[in-house]
Amino acid sequence: MANIQDISALIGDYVKDKKNFKGSFTVSESEQHEITMKDGKFTLFRTLFDNNMNIKVIVDQKQGSASTNKCSKEAVFAAIDDAINSAESGNPDECFDIAPGLEPEKFTMGVLEPDINRLMERTKELSEDIAEKYKKVKIIEMFSKYVKGRSIYTNTNGTRDEKEFGYYELALEFAGNDGESTGGVLFTCVAFDNLDEKLINLGFIDKELEIAENSLNPIKINDKFEGDVILTPESTAQMLGALIANTVGDDVILDKRSKWLDKMDQQVASSILTVSSRPWDKRIVNHEVHTADGFRSKDYTIIENGVLKGLATSLYTSKKCNVKRAENTGGNIIVEAGDIPYKDMIKSVKKGIIVGYVSGGAPNSSGEMSGVAKNSFYIEDGEIKGAVTETMISGNLMEMAMNIKEISKELTCDGYSVLPYIKVGNVTISGN
Amino acid sequence: MLEDILQKQKSFFETGMQTVLRGQENRNRRIVIQDGNLVANQRSEDSGICARVYSNGVYGFASTAEYSEDAAVKALKAATENAKYLEKFNREKKGAFPALSARVINSPRMIIDFEQKRLVDVCKEIDAYIAGKYPDLLSRTVAYREDTMEKIIVTSDAADGHVAYPRCRIYVQLNKKTKDGQTVELFRSLGGFGHIEDNFSDLSAMYEKIDLTYRDLCAKAEGVYAEAGVKTVILHPDVAGMIAHEAVGHTVEADLVQGGSVAGPNLGKQVASELVSIVDYANTAFGKAAPLPVYIDDEGVEAKDAVLIENGILKGFMHDRESAELYGVEPSGNARGYGFSDEPLIRMRNTAVLPGKDKLEDMIASVDDGYYLIQTGNGQADLTGEFMFGITMGYEIKNGKLGRAILDTTVSGVAFDMLKTVDMVSDEIVWETGGTCGKKQPMAVSMGGPAIKCRITIGGR
Repeated sequence: MANIQDISALIGDYVKDKKNFKGSFTVSESEQHEITMKDGKFTLFRTLFDNNMNIKVIVDQKQGSASTNKCSKEAVFAAIDDAINSAESGNPDECFDIAPGLEPEKFTMGVLEPDINRLMERTKELSEDIAEKYKKVKIIEMFSKYVKGRSIYTNTNGTRDEKEFGYYELALEFAGNDGESTGGVLFTCVAFDNLDEKLINLGFIDKELEIAENSLNPIKINDKFEGDVILTPESTAQMLGALIANTVGDDVILDKRSKWLDKMDQQVASSILTVSSRPWDKRIVNHEVHTADGFRSKDYTIIENGVLKGLATSLYTSKKCNVKRAENTGGNIIVEAGDIPYKDMIKSVKKGIIVGYVSGGAPNSSGEMSGVAKNSFYIEDGEIKGAVTETMISGNLMEMAMNIKEISKELTCDGYSVLPYIKVGNVTISGN
Repeated sequence: MLEDILQKQKSFFETGMQTVLRGQENRNRRIVIQDGNLVANQRSEDSGICARVYSNGVYGFASTAEYSEDAAVKALKAATENAKYLEKFNREKKGAFPALSARVINSPRMIIDFEQKRLVDVCKEIDAYIAGKYPDLLSRTVAYREDTMEKIIVTSDAADGHVAYPRCRIYVQLNKKTKDGQTVELFRSLGGFGHIEDNFSDLSAMYEKIDLTYRDLCAKAEGVYAEAGVKTVILHPDVAGMIAHEAVGHTVEADLVQGGSVAGPNLGKQVASELVSIVDYANTAFGKAAPLPVYIDDEGVEAKDAVLIENGILKGFMHDRESAELYGVEPSGNARGYGFSDEPLIRMRNTAVLPGKDKLEDMIASVDDGYYLIQTGNGQADLTGEFMFGITMGYEIKNGKLGRAILDTTVSGVAFDMLKTVDMVSDEIVWETGGTCGKKQPMAVSMGGPAIKCRITIGGR
């Protein structure tokens, strides 16, 4: 493995005398150990070592970037030259910039020494727990891994961040299967920093396994109606992700497609919805320490009690469009809990569905959304009547945000985000 | 170009362990011009070596970012140790895979790199064309994407090879306000196998595509919501190709068949109309090079076509060595890994519905009340064969004639039910060459097909 301290110093020397030049440089090394399990048996053990060097330069107000995983002196210099040559082929733009210098800091987080044997035991135990508790679930593949990394970020304004981190991650792909019929595939992933707890208790794993088992032998809904939709934490992540990307994301702000361009400090969602991006929340496993532009990452609120408070914009877009930049580079979405238990949310539904996942076309800035409700359940008069098949939901994401009726007390954390169940009214539900 | 330093490492392969050593480099180039602003201008290169060792039913794998003889030896040693470590947990010992013919298979061409300026200049030229000709647009984006791959494969008991997959594509997105202030969007792309000069030395085809996109966008700005329900539709070849890939292709990847896909119990059965045949082509299709020619896979298996559906009958699956052994067939060369540190998975290559005998205009004329669905944004399907595709452009068909454009919608169905309703298939195949399939890792794929007429569930409002 290359010495990232040496490479970082090499970069500093190479660019120090360049004129009309700004740059930011990330040099990193990583190590991964990943175990694959199929049908209750370990099948593959991978060990991966990698390096990476990301270079962003601004030369005469023209921007270019390059990355490579080669770390020889020649490769480092070639990559910087590559970025400079790229920049020279572009157009000057006063809005290209990097953050002012920060005080040098070192960050250490997570588990830095893995216990692979214990991870194997926990993975095997999870397989046995699933076999015991969910007899009608077939595990297609299970990946458990340990990820470790070190990086040094520097820029020409004097910032130097050193970060060292390590965490475990489990990814599970599975489906309901009773030997005769198969349900829809579910995928869940969780990051964690210790092996103290049974893996089945982490993140969405247990809830999603239950959904898979109950998804077999679905019923068909034959009519079309407007009803309530209860989004599970997984589908909440999906819908919120689409809403954020199409309303406050960099692209839609920059090219003026966003419907929320002039909605700052205005009501854009139900007053019970508060959404923030919080990389420093203690429930998040691997914290972002600086933004892609080099600012110290901070938590910030996007929607507070239904009022738009923040955008997910880069430094470039904020300068170009004269809007506030985001305090971090996204992700780690946290939705504040509501005051109603999930079970009571179901009881108050006259006619609707619980949606596990929406398989649909990616919504665009119009917000129009339609898709197949997968791993979903029909509710009538407050009771779950069964899983559904060939059922579509459609609506408009911005209208759905305004039509949020209830948010659950229960929150689920997968190490990346913290999410509740959300009930949305007036969604069109159509069977085949 | 990668230098072959791996052949001489065969002496380090451990006896009795089926071993593959792979050297790989991935190059990516990305340029994005939004409303004339060059917002992304990136080059990246990732290379390294991986070793995979199979022993007694388990695999050990290791990779390193270094591309050197020492690194190859270290990767081999670590992979071998990993396999031995895993064997301790494995009670059912399995034998070795049948040995394959030892030969050398090389791609007929390698990768040519271009300076970023050439790539940026092409994008600027296209952006200037749009800005000059269509000033009434709300906004526009021109993006260039190049994702090329080069691999050297050295095996203990199969073929060796040196292959390359150069491809590039330019995407154009046009956005327009409707009369009532809503935004409509439409994107199109052009490109394929090869480098920028192969695909964009003459931009006239790109300009034709942009003009067509603008016309469709204007029609979409006046568009209506599709009526929800089960409808008779003509699927444009791009949409039919997506059916071949998403709704059928994934269910017949042998690892997903083992995972319980609907294809397993349907092998040898009628799953589609007799008019429907689907093949995953390796490197040659209809007498020409396929859009993404694969000659050897990452297990050293010579790539062969995989016939999936023939005249409506489900004929077979796509395999790696392990699944081929399990199902008692020859491996088809479908095992590919995306990056140097990725293990090979069963992946599609060039998956297509075979053309029929009908003319597209006759197909449209045969529909009294339905839709012509011409563009899909994305698609998904699962093991049940239930699929959905986002439709980003389409037209009503009324009394055999094209009518108003429709706004974005979604179509869905169950593949083996929907394919039984196919009653017309056009005589012309169109390939979509820029696909990137997601299955743990991304992977370059192509898909294609003729237009097909069928019944499908369309989402409305």
